[in-house]
Amino acid sequence: MVEFKIFTKNEGAWSNADELLLCLNTGSWRSERPVMDRKKCNYCGLCALFCPTQCMTNMEDHFLPNLDYCKGCGTCAKECPKKVIRMVSEGEFHDQGKA
Amino acid sequence: MIKARHEGEIRTITGNAAAAYGAMLCRPDVVALYPITPQTEVVEQLSQFSSSGLLDAEMVEVEGENSAMNIVSAATMAGGRVFTATSSWGLAFMYDALLQASGLRAPVVMVNVNREMPGILAVSSGQQDMIATRDSGWIQIIAEDCQEILDLLIMAYRLAEDFEIQLPVMVNYDGFYLSYLSEGVNIPAREDVDAFLAPLKDQPERPKLVPGGPLACATHGIGEGFVELRYKHSAAMERAKRKFDQIDQLFGDFFGRSYGGQIEAYRMEDAEIALVTSGSASGTAKTVIDSKRGEGIKVGLVKLRMFRPFPRETLTEVLGGRKAIGVIDRSVCFGWNCGPIYMELRSLSPEIGLVPMLSFIDGLAGLDITRAHVESMIEKVHAASQGNPYQRVTWVNLEG
Repeated sequence: MVEFKIFTKNEGAWSNADELLLCLNTGSWRSERPVMDRKKCNYCGLCALFCPTQCMTNMEDHFLPNLDYCKGCGTCAKECPKKVIRMVSEGEFHDQGKA
Repeated sequence: MIKARHEGEIRTITGNAAAAYGAMLCRPDVVALYPITPQTEVVEQLSQFSSSGLLDAEMVEVEGENSAMNIVSAATMAGGRVFTATSSWGLAFMYDALLQASGLRAPVVMVNVNREMPGILAVSSGQQDMIATRDSGWIQIIAEDCQEILDLLIMAYRLAEDFEIQLPVMVNYDGFYLSYLSEGVNIPAREDVDAFLAPLKDQPERPKLVPGGPLACATHGIGEGFVELRYKHSAAMERAKRKFDQIDQLFGDFFGRSYGGQIEAYRMEDAEIALVTSGSASGTAKTVIDSKRGEGIKVGLVKLRMFRPFPRETLTEVLGGRKAIGVIDRSVCFGWNCGPIYMELRSLSPEIGLVPMLSFIDGLAGLDITRAHVESMIEKVHAASQGNPYQRVTWVNLEG
């Protein structure tokens, strides 16, 4: 019998909301990433409110995306009233997607 | 060893009625049915059982087979025992729900009364419907007579709901030939069926949906989680083969009727050539084999009782070392121009030996697989076993 990295002890596709079953790093899908100019940020929180993956992390006086999950959709940049967020091509970075 | 306490009651009933009795005796919680020829009588019988109080199940009147399958597979997610029945176009109409049920590992038990498939209007017998769903992830078993239909239904619940299996089971029998054939059938006593199915309660409980419970099903379908579940499904299919043998043996010990498990081998001990059949035509083949034995041809029969999972190991064991093999198919494998069971058996050639294998396509659209047909098949297989040139595929009704 093959040994698995087991996702579920069940035979079927069951998941219990009290247990983490599958964690998908959607950050690998990204072709552009949001870059913040934190000096201009007024901490209004609209980027976090609209983020579809809910990956905006509250840094107490500004927000930063969690790049493990940020898909690079650009919604935060579009919604930011202060134009603090720029979408920059992943090709500009050499950090393998880590912030 | 526990045995049935009653002898059962012998009644002359049709194959459809036998299926309905089998289902009723297993006490399903939810039954969803849509009528289609030649299965309609199953619906009528179960409705009658329900109205007369013999069947205490939620009877769902559906608008089509697709709903029937979705309802019963959902009901298993809530822990219910379920039953449905269909045929041909009805099976095709629930195709997506069929895949959903097996992917969910829903232990649905369904009767499929074999009938030809659409395109050429044929309200007649044929296994093309079952064949078209062979990769749907269902366990597919085939009955030869009315008694076997009833008995297979009871065994099907033991198989489907076994904790190590958790798969839907399709019980197939030839439409018209068996659906409307009346013969004496031993109907086991209810308490005996209860006792036979009781071990299903003594196993770990499957997860089930309850109001307020933090559980979801049909989830985590991306990436490796998907692969893991597909692997588990396939592994369960492999386990189902031996499990089916064991259940057949337990059934034999309990009720006194045993059928051989994945296959039935008839006069195979010293057979030089073999005929492979499935379903109702096997009886005719056995009769012809008896008479050919009288003429000195050492021929035996292998009746396929389980088509999915395909009994690879058992077939290798029983067919290995024979000099030639003939396979009768009541359906067509398009793209290979042969019978589907033949085509699958050919995959075992490296194991059973590169002996002549002959495909006979016979009995399509309810045409009889006659004694004369089987005699001619055995003669062809026998000639091939003697080293004579042979034709790989024979469309029996066209060539005689």
